[in-house]
Amino acid sequence: MAPSVGKSVPRVDGPAKAAGSARYVDDLVLPGMLHGATVRSDVARGRLLGVDLDPAFDWSGITVVTAEDVPVNSVPIIETDQPVLARDEIRHAYEPVALLACEDRLRLEKALRHVALRVEPLPPVLTIDDALAAREVIRPPDNVSKRYLITKGKGGTAGPGVVDGCEVVVRGVYESGAQEHVYIEPNGMIAFWDEEGAHVEGSLQCPYYVQKGIKGVFGLPDDGVDVTQAVTGGGFGGKEEYPTILALHALLLAKKSGRPVKLVYGRQEDVEASTKRHPSRVEIATGCDRDGTLRAVSIRVLFDGGAYVTLTPVVLSRGALHACGAYRWEDVHVEALAVATNTPPNGAFRGFGAPQTIWAIERHLDRIARTLGLDPMELRRKNLLRLGDTTATGQTLKESVGVEECVEKAIAASGFVEKRARGPVVTGRLARGIGAAVFLHGAGFTGSGEKYLKGKIAVDLLPGERALVRTASTEMGQGTETVFRQIVADALGIAVDAVDFAVPSTKNVPDSGPTVASRTVMVVGSIAERAATELRARVGQEATARGLSRSEAWERLAADPARATALVQYEPPPGVVWDDATYSGDAYPAYGWACDIAEVEVDLDTFETKVTGFWAAVDVGRVMNPTLCAGQVEGGTLQAIGWALTEKLVTRDGKILNPRMTNYIVPTSLDAPPFTTILVEAPYSRGPGGAKGVGELPMDGGAPAVAAAIEHATGLVLDRVPLLPEDLFEASLKGDAR
Amino acid sequence: MSVAGLPLHPFFTPRDLPETLDLLAGRAARGEKTVLLAGGTDWFVERHVAPPETAGTLPLVVDVSRLDGLGGISLDGHTLDGDEPGGDTLHADTLRIGGAVTYLELRRDARVAARCPLLAAMARDVGALQIQARGTLAGNLASGSPAADGVSALAALDATLLLRSVRGARRVPLAGFYTGYRKSVLAPDELIEAVEIALPPAGAPYVWRKVGTRQAQAISKVALAGVAVVEDGRCTRLGLGMASVAPTVAFLPATRALGLSRPLAGIAPGEIEATVLADVSPIDDIRSTAAYRRHVAVALVTGFCEELKRR
Repeated sequence: MAPSVGKSVPRVDGPAKAAGSARYVDDLVLPGMLHGATVRSDVARGRLLGVDLDPAFDWSGITVVTAEDVPVNSVPIIETDQPVLARDEIRHAYEPVALLACEDRLRLEKALRHVALRVEPLPPVLTIDDALAAREVIRPPDNVSKRYLITKGKGGTAGPGVVDGCEVVVRGVYESGAQEHVYIEPNGMIAFWDEEGAHVEGSLQCPYYVQKGIKGVFGLPDDGVDVTQAVTGGGFGGKEEYPTILALHALLLAKKSGRPVKLVYGRQEDVEASTKRHPSRVEIATGCDRDGTLRAVSIRVLFDGGAYVTLTPVVLSRGALHACGAYRWEDVHVEALAVATNTPPNGAFRGFGAPQTIWAIERHLDRIARTLGLDPMELRRKNLLRLGDTTATGQTLKESVGVEECVEKAIAASGFVEKRARGPVVTGRLARGIGAAVFLHGAGFTGSGEKYLKGKIAVDLLPGERALVRTASTEMGQGTETVFRQIVADALGIAVDAVDFAVPSTKNVPDSGPTVASRTVMVVGSIAERAATELRARVGQEATARGLSRSEAWERLAADPARATALVQYEPPPGVVWDDATYSGDAYPAYGWACDIAEVEVDLDTFETKVTGFWAAVDVGRVMNPTLCAGQVEGGTLQAIGWALTEKLVTRDGKILNPRMTNYIVPTSLDAPPFTTILVEAPYSRGPGGAKGVGELPMDGGAPAVAAAIEHATGLVLDRVPLLPEDLFEASLKGDAR
Repeated sequence: MSVAGLPLHPFFTPRDLPETLDLLAGRAARGEKTVLLAGGTDWFVERHVAPPETAGTLPLVVDVSRLDGLGGISLDGHTLDGDEPGGDTLHADTLRIGGAVTYLELRRDARVAARCPLLAAMARDVGALQIQARGTLAGNLASGSPAADGVSALAALDATLLLRSVRGARRVPLAGFYTGYRKSVLAPDELIEAVEIALPPAGAPYVWRKVGTRQAQAISKVALAGVAVVEDGRCTRLGLGMASVAPTVAFLPATRALGLSRPLAGIAPGEIEATVLADVSPIDDIRSTAAYRRHVAVALVTGFCEELKRR
């Protein structure tokens, strides 16, 4: 059997999705099912005095749930500060306060308008600056919810003054706004109770996260909670922690009504209430030699966590760990803070904190180059991390550093050096420029994460020389189903279509850990490979021991429940050492590396930016499926271009003014540049076939590359995304031109 | 609320135009609200954000998308009804577009492409293919959005609207159609039967420039439609229409007057800027800012004038 890994096996889930036969949660109907809806606050902060049902309205057949009905009223994520339903405190403008369910969706819509909340408004904290000023304290003592410190060399003693005394000190402040995931399918969940306990099925990335939430709130054992992933129309991190809330809400309504309940958000409710990418401000001071050799860096990272902690501490951690970029520094001081505000909680989003800090450090590298009069790519090449170098956390890079190859290939394919040297090309009222970003992204969980997680996978031998993969790593459009089939098929020596992929349900798949952090192929894929390899050996031994053919041995094992299954648990590589107390050591087992080059055309009359070419050279360790891999790179890059150029979340008094797809502007296919994607393979010894992660990496470099290209084209230096035409126009008025 | 969650509106598909007009007249007389549904590309979106309507007050939705009398594009081939006022003034180069003609039909029509490329260019920029396949000029006119691309192009072409009711037909120049933000002279018993355009000569210079929030599926931040006839360095005809810079689509009357006043070479950029700024009154909203819109309005008109000077 020829190996399938490395080939563009078509997506197994593709035909049903393309033909419309795939069944998403909103396609599911259970007998006697009610529809659920959420009553939300409409002020950003306040004291909840009461929930009043209009006595003139006919409430028959409508189930009403409030905080009184919640057994343990806190959503267990990292902390327990977020209530399932607000009881007496309103902390953001879309805070769920009550739930309604009704068979008739129209009556449900009407009923929503007959629930009145008595709220005494309080002054809200809406920005990072508001939070730091601490005139209003919403998170004692100082509105700071999490703090990290990373130091290296003199950074430990000199603190933020670590750059003092360097030949050239450059300072800059870089900001980014919130970003909405805009997965095609909004959040949705269907729930019911029976004698076994709670059942939910819905759009989600991480079945065991949802299970944990349900266990905590309802006080149920593992086997009393069944969580199943329905076909899921995209996630991008937005369905990492948030679906737990829908599951809890649907279950509360189902419990009280005694009926199955479906809770599906419309687009507007989804945009308003669900998590966003953390808005950020990153203050950087660097010290270097006059020739551009980087020496010291001091960084202060500020993330707006929103109203509740959710996953903010880990997002902030990844942001801090990527803040120094893909460069060598002798002396490092990184302080990272997350603050609480009265905005909807921010959470997981592709890149997980790294896009904000990579945006900052890459813009800063351009600033250093400008200050020194150096070519920005030369400055980067001079200081890139290489094998044997140590990162900001003191991690020595022992293998799999393909960054120089990425840089060389991206430069060669794009003609970067010649185009950059030629300067901006102005034709009529159009100015063309080119810019670059070089970056890394840690694959897998941070630090000791995988050690505590103990991810598992099961592979079963089935009759007919077939196999079944059972994993909680979910398909959400990125290709898990297909690539896992490829890995297992190759290890077992069977065809890809002889491998089945179990519907992820906590009832029948082991806890592989969450489908996040670019860990699916590298971590879970590696144990899928081990499980399949173990089964192949078992078949071989059985054949030898009993003098059977391979297929006869396979049938015997498949028929024996005690021997048909291999269940394998992930063991972190022995050399990976991380110290949570000092935030030092091996932050990630491996890094993906990349060089992005963007070419733009800016209309000097309207300041519209069109990305006319994009070259991404990406080191993924090993390309499992070229089409899917390039798809991740192009899709992630386009999401980054959206964040860079159009995706502005407009808010007033903590409320979102553009919660719809007509006014929250994601790029369309016509906005996508022609992509040239170059896949580089610097293998990682512990990944399957050498593979590392690729899901998040492409989100990191698009924005700084585009900003650098705009700067090259126009001379306008902009340090905040998104870079709307209006922002370029304003900058041109202020004479920010070079 | 999704479309699936919309209340069940009473819905009616009339046989022909006379039946539609009778229905409209009767309902208008009783003070009942009627929605004329052509492409539905505005109406459905508005339902999504409108408060839920109660069953007793739901308007009757009348499907006019396939009515014979509202379809078709014709050039010179138009047979006038005897009762059409002013019909005898229709000159030979008149393009008549039925109210329910879609943007896609405009894009694909060879006569429009050859004789009114401005309309074809505009139609390519509306929404995306799905919207273009459903959306109509009359719908765009009736919605009355100041951001309407179609209305901007018709403004530049100084189109005339043919309005019809059981009381008869009347012709209203587009410049006199709107009375304020989303308000027009269209009576409750009237519909927009067709749009008529006195065509400029073939090859006349034109501009269509939509500055939207992205390349497709975008609402204009500013859009400029322009058409001109230039003879010996002078404009003998100049039409301008601009979206999203005023409570209604803007006709830029002062700028038109300036452009027609003397040879183009004698018009300084500063004069154009001053008149455009006098002609527009943009606001800050979630799509853009007033300052940016003013800047772009001036830049687009100036660019068009520069192009005209070169001819």
